[in-house]
This record gives sequence, structure tokens and C-alpha cells, in this order.
Amino acid sequence: MLLPPLRYLRPETPEDAVAMLSDVDGSVVLAGGQTLMNMLKLDLAHPDALVDVHRIDALRGIEHDADGTLVVGAATTYAELARSPEVRRSHPAVAEMAAGLVDRQVRNRGTIGGNCCLNDPTSNYPPLMVALDARFRVLGRDGERRLPASEFFRGTLATAVGRGELLTTIEIPPMPQGSGVAHEHLQVGADSWAIARAVVRLDVADGVVADARAVLGAVYGSPLRLPEVERRLIGQRATPDLAEAADALQDVDVQTADDVHCSAAYRREMAEVQLRRAIRAAVERSVQ
Amino acid sequence: MTTNDTREITVTVDGRRETGVVSDRTLLVHWLRDALDKRGPKIGCDTGNCGACTVRWNGTLVKSCMVLAVQVDGDEIETAASLAEEDGTLSRLQQCFADHHALQCGYCTSGMLMTAADLLASGEEITEHSVRRALKGHVCRCTGYHNIVKAIRAAAGQEVPPPHGSEPREAEVR
Repeated sequence: MLLPPLRYLRPETPEDAVAMLSDVDGSVVLAGGQTLMNMLKLDLAHPDALVDVHRIDALRGIEHDADGTLVVGAATTYAELARSPEVRRSHPAVAEMAAGLVDRQVRNRGTIGGNCCLNDPTSNYPPLMVALDARFRVLGRDGERRLPASEFFRGTLATAVGRGELLTTIEIPPMPQGSGVAHEHLQVGADSWAIARAVVRLDVADGVVADARAVLGAVYGSPLRLPEVERRLIGQRATPDLAEAADALQDVDVQTADDVHCSAAYRREMAEVQLRRAIRAAVERSVQ
Repeated sequence: MTTNDTREITVTVDGRRETGVVSDRTLLVHWLRDALDKRGPKIGCDTGNCGACTVRWNGTLVKSCMVLAVQVDGDEIETAASLAEEDGTLSRLQQCFADHHALQCGYCTSGMLMTAADLLASGEEITEHSVRRALKGHVCRCTGYHNIVKAIRAAAGQEVPPPHGSEPREAEVR
């Protein structure tokens, strides 16, 4: 298929990229392109210029700060995350999610920053980033902003990254000792489109949940954090019975919609199933 | 907006230096097929799902319908044509595809071969499961995949059931 006419720009540094994104009308970031190319083909996006950031070294790579914070360049690919022994050790959920994304070719190109900046309701990483209290470093003409995940994801296909801005880095705090993170998905096929996702993190000390995150993905818009469920988890003993905390979902007005795969009612029900499973799996992982 | 932006690119394709003038919007698969007559990469779904256009870009497996030709300027691209010897002798992997009837219409085959070659070179453990998982980004509407999986496992040196219609092996006769 012929793409619409557009200009291709390849900046050398993040600052160059920001200058292009600010100065060139209708310019958008091209990262891995595994979604953007399809959006162009389907006439869903109409940029005049693509700013290709995939080769900017400063936007790639995996490091750990002195305090154990995982610092990931936004243009780091899924394949790089999946095969990193350091990520597998410090933040296994981040590596596992990358390893289970779409297919071999897409994992070689697709980036964690692209996944987050797209913020498609079915995107894999946004709910995990919320559950892990990730911080997003966004560069603009006037310098850098650092946003918590709760402020970064703004709605369907929307984030806090504004015009002329570039997500450069994602910081994921070290996992507390004894914490377990689990993500469960109902997908259309293996490693495929999600109908419902749930991510649960349990920070367990002396057998008791000291802190918890419960987040749904793929239901509607941005990742949906569930404070009611978290409240029921915190202070409880970390046993599989904790899955009952998912009952709290009954009282949450989970916005969702029908789509080609299922009805809204089915999606809501499946979200609850994934949440129960994720709680149980997080308990298992926490006590390992 | 400039609609007719073109630029010259130089790309090493299957070991040969190729130069061309492309529009910024030209997809890699179109340049390979239409300008260079490299017919290994096929256009199947054109939406990044079927894998028929799979090539290696600087040694990394990608779908060439999801990449712009300008993006690979200065780089190296390998298509399925790079798999055989110069004199046309098939690689072990290709021969296994032929022996195990791993293709019928052949449209998906060059993409399948690229991924199979990438998997075999990766050092990953080769099992029925790992092969099927590696083929996730490919669609074959003829074979039902079984023979493709067999061919790849055979290329890895694994014992697989012989193809239908072949001479029964000694072990089976006994």
C-alpha cells in the first residue's frame, strides 16, 4: 500500500528531535513504527513528517541506578528488554511482558516508549507501568518534565506528551523485597490482541501485604487503577484467598465498550477473572 | 508540506551494494521488489500480520512492509535469496523445507525461511513449541504448519517423522 505523502527526518540527538517536533508542522515521532505504519496505511493518522528516533543512542539502553531503579531508554525494543538478564533479575515482569508481545519481528522493532505513548487501551505496558509506579521523563523545548504513570496516561490514545515533546526515559523504582508482580491477560490469540488485562503488585513483608497495586488494562481508555481492591489487599495475609478482593470490582463503575471481539459485559466479567488470577499469581510470586 | 521528497539511498542487499532514489514514503518491501526485483519478500497482508515480507535488517528480523526504505540507508538487508549458495545449491534449511513438503503455493515460504534461519542461528532451544512460537508472525494458508515445523526441526538435526509418501525408514520397517 502506498503511504500518504510525508517527509522523513532523522535527528541525531533527543534535543534535535524536540527541535524538529516543535518546528515542523504536523510532525510525529516514529519509534519502532509497528503501529504507526499501520495507522498511516489505514489513513488513521495524517502526519506531514516522521521524526525517526529509533537510532538515537541516548534514547536506547537499559541501566540501573545506584538505588536499583531500572532506567530504560524510551526507544529500547521489546527484544532488548526480553533478553536482558539484568531486567529479568530486577524487574522480571517487565522482561516477561516484552517476551510475550506479538511476534518475533515486532519484538525486534517495537519499543516500550512507543507502546506507552500510543496508550491504546489494549497496549501491554501502560497497566504494568502504573502498577510499578513508573516515572516518565519527557523532554521539551523548555527542558525536562518527570511525570508519574498516574499523570502520564490521559485516555484512549492520549498521554501527557504534548506537541513538540519527546518521551526519553522510563524509570521504574526497585521492587521492594518480597514483592510479587503478576499480569494476566485474556487475549484473542497467543501473544495477541487483549480483551482484558490485569496487573497486580503485592509488596509482602512478614507474610502480610504492606502495599498493593491493582490495575486493569484493555477495558477502556487508560489503565484503570482500583483503589477499592488495593484497600482490601493491604494489611491482609498473603494467601490465595486474597483473590476475593476482586469482589470489590462489583462496586466499581468499570467503563468499557463493545468491540469486534466481545461485548462490554463479557469484557467486564473477564477483567474480573483476570484480576482474581493476577492476585493469586502475585501472592505465589511474593512468597517465593 | 513537501510531497515529493526523494533521496538517494545505498543499501547492501544480499551482499551487493545497491543504490536507488526513493520517495520518503516508499516502503522497504516496495523498493526491494519493484526497484531491485528482489522477489523473496512478498506483499501479503500489508499490515504487519502475515510475515510474507520478512527480511533481516542489520541481522535483525523485521517485516519489510513496516519499514521505510529511507530508514535502511547505509545498512544491510538480507532476503531469502541470501540463503542458498551462489550456484543455487539450497541451504540445509531450504532442502528440509523441500524434503518435508513444507510449502505448497510457496507465497509464505521466503518469510518462513527467514524466521526459521533467524531462530536456528539464535541459539535458542529448538522444540515443537519454540518453533511454533517463532512462527507466530507468519501466516500459511496451505500447509497447516505441521510440515513447516517438522522441516525446521529437521534442519536443527532433530529426528522428525518422515514425510508422507517417502521410503519407509529402516527403523519403521523393523
